[in-house]
Amino acid sequence: MLSARFSPDIDRPLLLATLLLTLIGIAFVFSATSMPSASVEHGLYLKQIAYLFLAMLAGALIAAVPYRVYEGKTSYLLYGIGLALLVLTLFIGHVGLGAQRWLGWGPIKIQPSELAKVATVILLASQLADRKKDWTQIKNLVGPVLTAAVPCLLVLKQPDLGTSIAFLAILFTMLYWAGLPFLYLFFMITPIVNVALSFFTPGWLLFLGLLALILYRSRIRLLPLLLVVGVNLIVGIATPQIWNHLQPYQKQRISTFLDPGADAYGAGYQIIQSKIAIGSGQVFGKGFLHGTQKALAFLPEQHTDFIYSVVGEETGFLGAGFVACLYLLLILRGIKVANRARNRFGGLLAIGMTSIFLYHVLVNIWMTVGLAPVTGLPLPLLSYGGSSLVASFLQVGLIQNVAMRWREY
Amino acid sequence: MRADPIALGGWQRRERTLTIAVVGIFALVLLRLFVLQVLEGSRYRELSEENRIRVEVLTAPRGEIRDRKGRLLADCVPSFTVTLDPFDKAYSRAPARMDSTLRALGPILDADPADLRDKIQRERKISFLPIRLKRNVDIKTVAFVSEHRDQLPGVQVESEPLRRYPLGLMGSHLLGYVGEISDKELADPAYGDYLSGDLIGRMGVERRYEKQLRGVDGKRFVEVNALGRKGDFLGEKHPVLPQRGTDLTLTIDLDLQRAAENAFEPGARGAVVAIDPRNGEVLALVSKPNYDPNEFSTGITQDRWSELSSGGNYPLFNRAIQAVYPPGSTLKPFSALAALEAGAITAGTYFAQACTGEYRFGSRLFGCWKPEGHGSLALHDAIVRSCDVYFYQLGLRIGMERLSDYMDKLRLSEKTGIDLPQERRGLFPDPAWYDKHFGPGRWSKGLVLNLVIGQGECGLTPVKLAQLAAFMANGGTLWRPHLIRSVGSELPSPSITPDDSMKQVVTVAPRNLEIIRSAMESVVSDPTGTGGQSRVDSVSVAGKTGTAQNPHGKPHALFICFAPVESPRIAIAVLVENAGHGSTAAAPIARKVLEGFFHPAPPESAAVLSGR
Repeated sequence: MLSARFSPDIDRPLLLATLLLTLIGIAFVFSATSMPSASVEHGLYLKQIAYLFLAMLAGALIAAVPYRVYEGKTSYLLYGIGLALLVLTLFIGHVGLGAQRWLGWGPIKIQPSELAKVATVILLASQLADRKKDWTQIKNLVGPVLTAAVPCLLVLKQPDLGTSIAFLAILFTMLYWAGLPFLYLFFMITPIVNVALSFFTPGWLLFLGLLALILYRSRIRLLPLLLVVGVNLIVGIATPQIWNHLQPYQKQRISTFLDPGADAYGAGYQIIQSKIAIGSGQVFGKGFLHGTQKALAFLPEQHTDFIYSVVGEETGFLGAGFVACLYLLLILRGIKVANRARNRFGGLLAIGMTSIFLYHVLVNIWMTVGLAPVTGLPLPLLSYGGSSLVASFLQVGLIQNVAMRWREY
Repeated sequence: MRADPIALGGWQRRERTLTIAVVGIFALVLLRLFVLQVLEGSRYRELSEENRIRVEVLTAPRGEIRDRKGRLLADCVPSFTVTLDPFDKAYSRAPARMDSTLRALGPILDADPADLRDKIQRERKISFLPIRLKRNVDIKTVAFVSEHRDQLPGVQVESEPLRRYPLGLMGSHLLGYVGEISDKELADPAYGDYLSGDLIGRMGVERRYEKQLRGVDGKRFVEVNALGRKGDFLGEKHPVLPQRGTDLTLTIDLDLQRAAENAFEPGARGAVVAIDPRNGEVLALVSKPNYDPNEFSTGITQDRWSELSSGGNYPLFNRAIQAVYPPGSTLKPFSALAALEAGAITAGTYFAQACTGEYRFGSRLFGCWKPEGHGSLALHDAIVRSCDVYFYQLGLRIGMERLSDYMDKLRLSEKTGIDLPQERRGLFPDPAWYDKHFGPGRWSKGLVLNLVIGQGECGLTPVKLAQLAAFMANGGTLWRPHLIRSVGSELPSPSITPDDSMKQVVTVAPRNLEIIRSAMESVVSDPTGTGGQSRVDSVSVAGKTGTAQNPHGKPHALFICFAPVESPRIAIAVLVENAGHGSTAAAPIARKVLEGFFHPAPPESAAVLSGR
């Protein structure tokens, strides 16, 4: 069984991209924490190397066991463990940056939401692998939606909006891959769009008109149609009513929650500094270890959430572009593996793992270049952090697992 | 619409769509990088090398506080603050440079460079903002900083509103003061929208109404280079303008407050609370000794703070609401009311033993304050002359159970709920309390003899006593004392009617009430009464003196009163620590407050309005 690890079918570009990104990550964790005025530990890169060994071991192990083992009952067990850790975090978790995200046991601290994402993908893949079900039937969608919604809400409670949205992004990608028509996915997100637009009446009316047109053209069944129309009407009318009845402090909480940068002097400032750092790298960068913006210690998360701005500053457009291309390669290979797998569970597993990467890379890089709000999501493989690194290697391990056994039905 | 048949290759259409979407997303990232790094790169390189973008907080002025007639108690004036930006390029290139800057600034700011350094080390971890080194600096300092700009990288002079209390010591305890937020508060999510170095209300109205008074700070991004400010950082959001805090109009009457403050001898310790018995509005609230809240606005030294908070007579301590004293004989009208209401006595009740100056209970002798004795008395005279021996027997007649039940109705062991922070609650013990603290059966029934005359384990705050005096004045309503007449800019309405949630009504038989009131009136008007020193021309005053024994020196002097008796408009409690008898030390203070209320001197308030 272990010999499978050396099977020629292992996806080499994916492996290469993973290892290169990890090494680049360690180099820049070193760089980001190297300046004398740094407010963080200098030896963090050594810890990251130790985490890497742990992560590689975990990735190899999860790749070695044929992936079919994770289907069915095992998936529920893994998911159960993931949820238990999340619940535990809410009760006895450590508070970091205003939210309970960490679970500690002696010197070991883990971030259960990272592992919960992997477990959720496995269960979703297992549920959606059932060919006998018609995935356009609403009653059949209840299971997968609940599977993603429970961890999503638990993480939301911490509160960690960025990670909780990750569960929804994963769900939608996997539903799409499972065969749900694009239109259905569109209908599923209409209530969310509705909430956002309900305060802007012209936009809301336009959206309702558009929705009505699409509904009319799509000729979907009566029950789903009524459901879409009903939910949208209720949400659209109720949201401003509820909002108006909230206490000022409740409103304040919600807007802070949705946009952490709105009232914190830090976040808007971080984005500006991150843009200056990346922009000042110009084409070739200031050279490894020669960044100056990072030396200001302006970003408490320069070695975690904002590591990409250090890369951009020190290696310029060439380096930052290269790293972006490595991520693109990793994600495209993930999609390729998912596509090639003959087994439906395998394909869904691979696409789910790939979607985690896609969402994180997207949100993090967009944040550092000023295209997305500050959410506090790490950049997989590059950012400092054991839980994230181990989770990333578990994801890569599972994609490789599917790649190695693509012939199996 | 069936799901796509999934077989080998069945995902291909989806793969193509997804691949195109992913490539598109990454193309957008590369495009963005191209714009930032290649097209705008030189501009950002310049920003990173020479200039610095920083956030400038535009501090919102706090709301003004005025008395009930609109006279200013607290406002804000412009002032200069010297700040240092620890993230200035000069310091990231050469951290040692900070020391020379601080050495240069030390003498002009009158601060120890080491202290400044500690402050910077602590605060730079919390935010990216420039750190305030000293508030309210003079024009000489401003000039010094401007002249030596090249030697003081990252040092700026910023304009900030300064909290000012134009009347200084006047009303310090009810107003409170402002000070820099503590690290402990900063760590608390409840203070999530505060930044290190922000001012926050401490004590008094400043604390209690912090939310209303604070306002909302604004901010703007400015570009700063070696020569100073270059202007707003263009291309970013517009400056967010600060929103001034909400103004408050208090129920306090400044003339009365001044009369009450001036009634104390210099160096005296004590408190006065004056309440409108018709609605619970606090008209004056004094605690002595007091302090000057202006001292805190600019940042106070550690030594000065220790001096104020503990040294000497604890000036920061608000005796009006935080100190619990035995009420002494001021409790007698209420004990008597309890006995009347319980039917234990009538107005005509004489007790078996006439006052000989002492009373024997078991093996113990309980003395009357007047050693020569009062002779045989009925209730009226017992109150007027404050005869302890009469009340010992009254206490035994009613019993501790019924007495404490009635005091419970008057909520003696609860806070009044005044809208000031850190109010303490008083205590009137009941048998259960003694069981708990002394052990069941391990306490004597004789304790009621102490309780009935307001001694022993019972204790009340001055504000509670004022509430009780108001209760007697209005005939049975316990108003929650409150300090706010109006919030915001609307003019105070002449007849503000607080809602029913602010009062608790205790039903009292009018006949019994009349007995007590007429006795309290005689306390002041009768030649044999103990409260003669509170008499005021042409106003009928009802009062009761108290002298609370305490083991640490001279007794505390107390006095409660209300006036005019026919339709009371003011109820007062006075306490003077270690001053001796209520009749000689507390009643005269009440008289000065009453005079201030009924016969105000032609006001010098024109001077007050124009400030200091």
